[in-house]
Parts: sequence; structure tokens; C-alpha cells
Amino acid sequence: MPDLTAAEPAIDVRDLCVDRGGTPVLKNLRLSVKAGEVYALLGGNGAGKSTTLAVLMGLLRPSGGSVQVMGLDPATQADAVRRSIAYLPETVALYETLSAYENIAYFLGLSGDRPSRAEMDAALDAAGLQAGARTRRTGGFSKGMRQKVAIAMALLREVPVLLLDEPTTGLDPAAASDFNALVGGLRERGAAVLMVTHDLLGAADCADRIGFLAGGGIVEEVQADDGLDVLALHRRFGEAAAG
Amino acid sequence: MNPVLHIAANELRLMARARVAQLAIALVVMLSAIAALTAISQGRESQEIRSRFQAQADREFDGQPARHPHRMVHYGHFVFRPLPALAGFDPGVDAFTGSTLFLEGHRQNSANFGDVRQSSLLVRFGQLTPAFVIQALGPLVLIFLGFGAIARERDSGLLRLHFTQGVKAGQVVLGKAAALSVVAGLILAPALGALAWLTLVAGAAPLAVLTLAAGYAAYLLVWVLATTSISALAQSSRTALASLVAAWALSAILAPRLATDIAILAAPQPTRLETDIAIQRDLKEIGDSHNPDDPHFNAFRASVLKTYGVARVEDLPVNYRGLIAMEGERLTSSLFERYAERQFADQRRQSGMALALGLVSPTLAVRSLSMAASGTDLEGHRRFLRQAEAYRYAIVQRLNRLQAERLTFSDDSKRNSDPEAGRRVRIDPGAWRQTPDFVYRPASTTEALGAATPGLLLLGGWLALAGGLAWAASRRLERAGA
Repeated sequence: MPDLTAAEPAIDVRDLCVDRGGTPVLKNLRLSVKAGEVYALLGGNGAGKSTTLAVLMGLLRPSGGSVQVMGLDPATQADAVRRSIAYLPETVALYETLSAYENIAYFLGLSGDRPSRAEMDAALDAAGLQAGARTRRTGGFSKGMRQKVAIAMALLREVPVLLLDEPTTGLDPAAASDFNALVGGLRERGAAVLMVTHDLLGAADCADRIGFLAGGGIVEEVQADDGLDVLALHRRFGEAAAG
Repeated sequence: MNPVLHIAANELRLMARARVAQLAIALVVMLSAIAALTAISQGRESQEIRSRFQAQADREFDGQPARHPHRMVHYGHFVFRPLPALAGFDPGVDAFTGSTLFLEGHRQNSANFGDVRQSSLLVRFGQLTPAFVIQALGPLVLIFLGFGAIARERDSGLLRLHFTQGVKAGQVVLGKAAALSVVAGLILAPALGALAWLTLVAGAAPLAVLTLAAGYAAYLLVWVLATTSISALAQSSRTALASLVAAWALSAILAPRLATDIAILAAPQPTRLETDIAIQRDLKEIGDSHNPDDPHFNAFRASVLKTYGVARVEDLPVNYRGLIAMEGERLTSSLFERYAERQFADQRRQSGMALALGLVSPTLAVRSLSMAASGTDLEGHRRFLRQAEAYRYAIVQRLNRLQAERLTFSDDSKRNSDPEAGRRVRIDPGAWRQTPDFVYRPASTTEALGAATPGLLLLGGWLALAGGLAWAASRRLERAGA
């Protein structure tokens, strides 16, 4: 795992530009996420949130600017970057005929890891998946249960960076709250978490900073402390997205 | 574990847990096994029947009573083409061309008793042989099991999860292809068992068997790579399935039938009736030995009289009627041979055309290789016809020679009017027993392999193409980032 100095952000995006099909999606985007910090990136549909994640994972090449994940460039060091990150898509895809244990063992095995049953149980305990569900095929799992499996994988891999793509979309309030608590736990473990979401309330609940993406860049960034006026923020973001 | 093997092992585990996959694999392996067992059993049975009938025909010929040799020329003789050891695996054209010939003087008959003429029309759509199962059904099962291997995982997001674990697109494509290759191996296994049995028990040439095994393995590998690549390249799993089924229908169903039609159109052959009429016309031109004014036979008589230094055929030391029969047979046989060779040349052009169409269908390529290595291609049939014709000519001329040397011209001329002369022209039945039996000499292994080489080369080309497609699919998948 690459070492960073305390001052260096785990995710460092500077003046990122991305064109897709000749259309600029991101224009001079700047953001950074430190270890032990949760950053929520909010934005409307098509604002470029998922594109940002794709660039961070080395799945998409930027047309300008610089991107560093744990000090590595995803465009040229994609393999090393991917070893440092865990990615949770909006809908966590798992093999439905495999159990939670089997899914974890398979995906970790791809990078050569062979976690023991005890290690998996510890991670699944931390992620909050009930013991009785772990040997069941994941075909019948809810979105929240799938996310817990994916979080357990991330915990087992001990990755310093987590990328979450719309993690609370479709979750009921209780499950969303559970998830936000889980993200808080990841922060406690020192992970840098970048979460792209539509859910301002959830972001305010678990993020340290919230950035609003519009027109290809961050138009406003706020600290998510106890004094945050979510309703006022909601109105401002709405106006920025519309205009 | 290596990521490729890890992915392959997981893919096999997923197949093992999917009921549709279980059913498809069980069904095709069962069909393959039944076809293999049927091949062994039918091959043995057909060979026994043919050997029994050949022995019976030989016995009946040998057991004829004392007769005029020309009666024996018209009595004729049946010959049966012995079944090649690998015919059960791939009957090739055997079912269509027939395997039995009736040999008689002055005529060249067609082979008879092909299975197609004795069975329902359904047999034309493919017998359940190991070759048919692998050529037509094997790819279909590979397509149904493999079309979604990558496309479905891209649709669901599983593929991206692989990439975020540091897996390369090429490793995913290779892993999925490796798993599908194991299924291909299962499809092939019963056929390989049958081939091993045919080698060890029925005496099939090991090199021909190895060529068949390599050819069919390459053929299934082409479908494995094509299926995996299309699954990676297609926009969705539905598109992948539609494209692959269309490719299968074109290659395995349409192309073999179209190839025949195209070959017939490109190198048309006269019908049997047209050929018979043309032969009759040419026969008339050759001459009539019964016509005292026939120029050819008058010249022949003059030449014979000059050779023996006599003035009349009655003074010859041999029976002139026998000499006439020999000359007549020589002329008609050379005519038959000319027509047969013309027909063989047309057939070779058609076969070449059909083989060239293997450039658009790997099924045509493997079919050509399979029939050639099994000894059941058209060339094998022509070999039988040539040898049978040579045998027919030899025994007819042998009987004509008996007529010329053992019978007097005087007795032969009045055999129908003088009972004593009629008795004297009957030759002792021992002469029939001395007639050598027909022994078919099949193509040597070298010849069979030579005939299989074009198909093998075409399959090699297909394999290279499929490998290239897999490489291109990996590159594109890598670039697209799922």
C-alpha cells in the first residue's frame, strides 16, 4: 500500500476535465479527501458524479488536469490504484447463487487474498450482516444486505480509500441510517471515503464535508457540522443546479 | 490462485448451480454418449451385415453350376464396400451414396442401398452420430451457456467489480473462455471415448483418430472463443445471444445445405438419365459386333486373322466369339471409365467448392476434415467405385477369356441349336470358385490425412481468427472500462 504523509490527501483532484463523446462533463474539478474523512459529492443527474468515480478508478481517462489516489495516477497506475480502493456501486452486484461468504472469498481471491471464515465473520459483524444470512444465497438479499457484504469486503481488504456511488438510494430511512453509521465507522478506521449521492440529508448525517457539483465543477463546499442548515443548503443547491 | 483460473473455477461453480446449465450440459453429454454408443454398435452391426452379405454373394457365385461363361457374365456378382472403422463416428456420404454394387458385363451400375433410400426423409437432416452432435449441437450448448458470461455481468455491474479488484479485461475473457472450454471438453468426452474404443477394438488408425480429436477440439474452441468474445463485444446479453444464434444457424445449419446447392450450381453434373442416354449414343458409335458390316469389328476381325495367320474365324485356335466379347468389354469399359472420370472430376470440383465455403463456416471445415479422416468422404466412395469397376472388368474379362480359350467357335456358334454343343460349352463350376474375391483397399492413413489437411488448415485459420477476436474484445473491454 502506498504511504502518504499526514498532509497529503488520499484523493487529490486538480482541475480535472473529462469529455465524453465530445461533450465536456467535468471542467476544472477540484476536490480532495483526507484519510479519516468522509466527503459527500452532491449533484443532479448527469452532473458528472459517477464520471468522477470512473476517473478515480482508472476506468476513464481525463482530458485534462491531474488526479492522484494515494499518491498514484489512476490513468497510468490503474492496477495499483485499484488495489488501494474499494468501490460500492449504487446497486451492489453479487453472484446471486453464491452465499455472502462465497462472494467475499471469490472477489478477494481475485487479488490473491484468502480470508479465513473468522476474518470474514469479523468483517461481516462490523458491517452488520446477520449471522444467519451469511450462508444463504445472495439472490434474496435486500440492497442494504448487499451493501453490507460489499462493506465487509472493503474492510477485509483494509483499503485506505472507499468510493461509494449513490449508496442510500432506494434504502428505507432505518437502513439508510444504519448505512450512514457504517460509513462513520469506516471513518473511525482511518479510511478516506468519497460518497457521491443525491441524498443531502444522508450526506449531512455522515459526511465531514459536502461539495456540490454543477456545470462540471464544485460550485459550493461546506463543512457538515452540527450548525449546518440543511434546508437552506437544499435551496441553494437547487438554485445552483437549475441555473 | 491465478486470476484466470479463479474466474474459470467460479464460472464453472455458477454453471453447476444453474438449473438451465445443468440441464443443457446433461442433455448434450447424454446425447453425445448415446451417439457414441450407437456409433460403436451400428458400426459393428453394419460391418457384420456387409461381411455376411459379401460372403453370401461370393458363395452363390462360386456355387453356380456348370454354365456357359457368358451366362456367368450376366449372372453378375455383388460387392459390398466394407465400412471404414471410423464410419460409425462420422458416416459421411455413406448413407447417401450407397455401399453395394451389382457387377455385370457391358454395364456399370450405380451403388445402391444407401441408408437415406431406406429410411425416412428425416435422416437427411442429420443422423445422431458423434460427429453431428459435436458439429451442430455442441456449439449451440456453448452459446446458451456462454452468451451472458461477460455481457450479463457487465449489465449487472459485476464486471466493474472485477476491474476494481485489479483484474484485467483479458483475464476475465480468458477465465470465462477457460470455463466454457471445460464444458466443450465434457461435450467431446463421450466422442473421445468412442474414438478410443474404435482405435483399440475396431482397428481405426491412431493418426486418423488423433486428427479427428484435434479437429473437433479446435472446432469447439473456435465456438468457445467466439462466444466469449461476442459476449464481451455486444451491447447487451440479448444482443450477444441473437448474434451468436444467427452465426450458429448460418454456420451449422444453412452453410452446409447452401454449400451443396452452390457447388451443384457452380459445377453442374448431368443427371443419371442424361448420362445413360449419352453412353448409349456413344456405344452405338463404337460399333455393333453382331453387324457384319460394322467397320470397327470388321477391322478387329481382320487384325485377329492376320495375327494368327488364318483366313477365317473358324480356323482360329481360339474361340472368336470370346475374343469379340473381350474386345466389346474393353471398348464399353473404356467408355464407362471416361464417363465415370468426367463425373468424378465434376464431383471433385463440387467438393472443392464446398470446402472453399469452409472459409465462411467452421462447420464446413470440420465436416470436411471429419469425413476425410473417417474415410467416409466422397473420395472414399470414388475409391470403392474405381476398385469395384476394376474388379468387374477383371472378372468379366476372365470369363470372356474362358469363353475364348476353353470353348470352340463351332460349339459356341451352334450351342442353341445343337444340344450336344450346348452341353460342351458349359464350363466346370470349379472355374467360378477360382475367380478371386473382391478385396477393398481403403485409403492409407497418409492419404486420409492428406485429404483431411485442407479442413485442418481452415480450422487453424478459424482458430486464429477467433483468438484475434478474443484479443480485440479484451482490448475493447479494457478501454471501455466496463
